Amino acid sequence: MRLIKSLQQIPLLLLVFLPATLFAAAEIETLEISDEAEVDIRYMLPKTRSSIYNIPSEGLYRVMERAMETGKKVFLIASGPDTELVLRVANEWEAKHDGAAGLAGVVLMFPRLNEGKPEPGKEPEYVEAVGKTKEVPLLLLEGERTPNRWGVKHLTTALAAGGSHVHAKLIPDVRGYFFKRQDANMPEEVVTTQLAGLIKASLFFLGRTDS
Amino acid sequence: MKKLLILLLLVFTLPVSAGLKPYEGEGATPPLKLVDMQGNTHDLAEYKGKVVLVQFWATYCPPCREEMPSMNRLMEKMGDTPFVILAVNMGETMEEVEPFVKEVGPEFPILMDPDGDSIGAWQVFAAPSNFVVGADGKIHYTLFGGVEWDDDEIVSKLKELSES
Repeated sequence: MRLIKSLQQIPLLLLVFLPATLFAAAEIETLEISDEAEVDIRYMLPKTRSSIYNIPSEGLYRVMERAMETGKKVFLIASGPDTELVLRVANEWEAKHDGAAGLAGVVLMFPRLNEGKPEPGKEPEYVEAVGKTKEVPLLLLEGERTPNRWGVKHLTTALAAGGSHVHAKLIPDVRGYFFKRQDANMPEEVVTTQLAGLIKASLFFLGRTDS
Repeated sequence: MKKLLILLLLVFTLPVSAGLKPYEGEGATPPLKLVDMQGNTHDLAEYKGKVVLVQFWATYCPPCREEMPSMNRLMEKMGDTPFVILAVNMGETMEEVEPFVKEVGPEFPILMDPDGDSIGAWQVFAAPSNFVVGADGKIHYTLFGGVEWDDDEIVSKLKELSES
């Protein structure tokens, strides 16, 4: 019971497919509580884009419903192509609740939301989930030393098309998927160890954004 | 089953198709005027009459690093064909680019674009992004991703373009 009380003071994060090492102890405890509450959604899928697109949104949606019952601020966070799923669920959440309804924000870390291969000289096309959210604020994080940084402005505009406030931050001196790299350099190692703090700062920032 | 395995093996061991894609964009070729690592200015407009491969690349892009030696070999294979490569670095500093350039020794200019102005003008959102500009100054082909640039199919397409 004491544990639950202390957890109520921190926002609840719903992290999708981030490495286990990035979970803070408090989040692990929260997930354990979710387990006790029999909210247990697991998928054993190959790590491909099509797998993500085929994950039905109902599972995460149910987790969100249970999370809302805790009374905490609820954020969705995902990285890479997995950002499609959290955007899709945020869209559905808004559609069913006629607004953000407690969803405090979505953090898109190094999002890979292109539909198909990029074509030189052509504006990118995005997956359907992009640009649908109306109220929930979105925060996009991208590495500075990645080609995708040149598309951040375009993606930000596309994400904001539905009405959401979208903020984009470049993380200096890091390459794409730096937290998974075997050849991580010094800045990437530093940012990886500070990733939890970076996420916390992102939540703080989103929490201050009017939705 | 054995035949299927052999077929699959053949498919996966064949060299990657050249992949030069006819350009479908509209409008004029964007301007490109940048300074190379030696301080010389290169203006695409001054290369009219030659086929120009404009490549946008970065040292943090693994396929870009991998394919650059094959661009040297492409230069060699093109021989006397009027052909130039302009490799535009995407927003890095000299300090970041120099070690890689020393290692590979590109035989074509590396243009620096620290503010990424040309990247926006050319609608580049990923790397490596390649544009093949014909002798007429128009973009004829594009290619996204790493390839072996000295592939015979690419060489013959570029030579054909030069003769057209």
